[in-house]
Amino acid sequence: MSSARRGGQEQLPGAAGLRAWARRHAFSFLSSLGSLTRQPIASSMTVIVLAVALTLPTALYVTLDNVERISQNWERLDTISAFLSEDVGESEAMRLASRLSNWSEIASVDPISPKTGLAELSGQLDLGDLGDRIEDNPLPWVLEIYPTSGADMAVLVHRVERESEIEMTVVDLQWLERLDAILEVINQLIVLLALLFAIGVAFITANTIRMDIQNRREEIEVMALVGATAGFVRRPFLYSGLWYGLLGGALAWLLIRTGLIVLSAPIARLSGSYQTEFQLHAPGPEVTAILILGSGLFGIIGSWLVVSQHLRRINPG
Amino acid sequence: MIRFEHVAKRYPGGIQALSDVNFSLEKGELAFLTGHSGAGKSTLLRLIALLERPSRGQVVFDGRNVGKLARRHIPYLRRRVGVIFQDYRLLNDKRVFDNVALPLVIAGLSYSEIKRRVRAALDKVGLLEKERMYPPMLSGGEQQRVGIARAIIGKPPLILADEPTGNLDPDMSAELMNYFLQLNELGVTMLIASHDLDLIRQLGRRVLVLKAGEMVDDLPARSALTGDDTHV
Repeated sequence: MSSARRGGQEQLPGAAGLRAWARRHAFSFLSSLGSLTRQPIASSMTVIVLAVALTLPTALYVTLDNVERISQNWERLDTISAFLSEDVGESEAMRLASRLSNWSEIASVDPISPKTGLAELSGQLDLGDLGDRIEDNPLPWVLEIYPTSGADMAVLVHRVERESEIEMTVVDLQWLERLDAILEVINQLIVLLALLFAIGVAFITANTIRMDIQNRREEIEVMALVGATAGFVRRPFLYSGLWYGLLGGALAWLLIRTGLIVLSAPIARLSGSYQTEFQLHAPGPEVTAILILGSGLFGIIGSWLVVSQHLRRINPG
Repeated sequence: MIRFEHVAKRYPGGIQALSDVNFSLEKGELAFLTGHSGAGKSTLLRLIALLERPSRGQVVFDGRNVGKLARRHIPYLRRRVGVIFQDYRLLNDKRVFDNVALPLVIAGLSYSEIKRRVRAALDKVGLLEKERMYPPMLSGGEQQRVGIARAIIGKPPLILADEPTGNLDPDMSAELMNYFLQLNELGVTMLIASHDLDLIRQLGRRVLVLKAGEMVDDLPARSALTGDDTHV
């Protein structure tokens, strides 16, 4: 037994070695699929658990994504209501309106007379013909100012308030700022949750693979006995981890899509009631890829942890 | 081919399975390893196939101290040792064909080559027509032969057998031993653990005797005297 021959047995040279490597991989690949289909109930339960776990952060992400789209629309609808002093009459109000509408930050100005204002108010409060019953209309002229989309609201409000005819302005900006802050918090929360659930995927997979290893303990021992390398024993389990992860991710994506379809009709009704047309946005290709491939990756990581630990017990160190 | 130098094996819990065992087996030799159950026969075989590591001393196989072999080299050592177990160690959910093919699949041979060699090995042990069956459908003797086919398929230079006739009737045992002798004549080194003393005596080969973990006797082959008996 020369050492050259011994070496030759450990690694075949060149193309023959590559073919042997490919055959061993094909065997692992098929054997991992075999073990998945041999226990269809156990496998599908694992996949479903993974899918549900992944659906939670993904659904939250999709919700946030859609809320952000809506709030972008809201920001464009933002206006400044400028209440003029009570003693300002129609002609002055009109002059001020035309002057303001020449400003570059202002798209248009809509003057609302005290009469129109009262009619709108009584319509909103369902008070019938309020104007007829009130002798002295207490409402002032109001200029509804629509800024251009790029305008800096705070600066604009400041400038508008310097006009002497204007008593006060009302801009409901604060709630939008708060909404932005809330969305930012949720964004961070999603990152944390995604991390947490990715770890969950790794451990759910690890647990399933661990049971799989225990069921096939004898097979592993026999394989090791007839000269299987650690890699050869490990590989089918790593593939199994990958399958669990990929299938879990794909099922989560399917659940999200189904959820969006189910929700689309009520959402359409809701947005219709606001005279807007809003459509739910499904996760884009990047998010889908991150979901499915990331889940596969963490599946591999999970099975790696548990397989390496178990293999060490079979081969004496 | 194999050399034990002051080998001791103590299991966790303080059980001394082997203490100071010395012997060597030349290339092409066939020897029996005998002794009462619990004498350390299985442990000795497990040390050679590196299913265990020695607590003390050296186990040398092919000029290498296997006790010091790195973990990643162990599989390649095991491919050069065919092991036959008393309890067969077959995979019951795999067909006879796949059981025998396992060492070749691990080595990464092509399917056509695997098929050819598995058929040849099954033919040799007389089980060719049962290749599509599962081990539990076979008798004990047949399962043992499947185990033998798996042990020889990789053409290892050394075969270890742990009580191979333990579950066989006398006729089958004699037949199996004859088969081992044939293998040995093809140049395979063999170490067979057995307490079937009648059979061992008949064959007149070298006998190593273990008692309570110690090698108490090493009887040389009676080839000069009764060599003809071995070729009945």
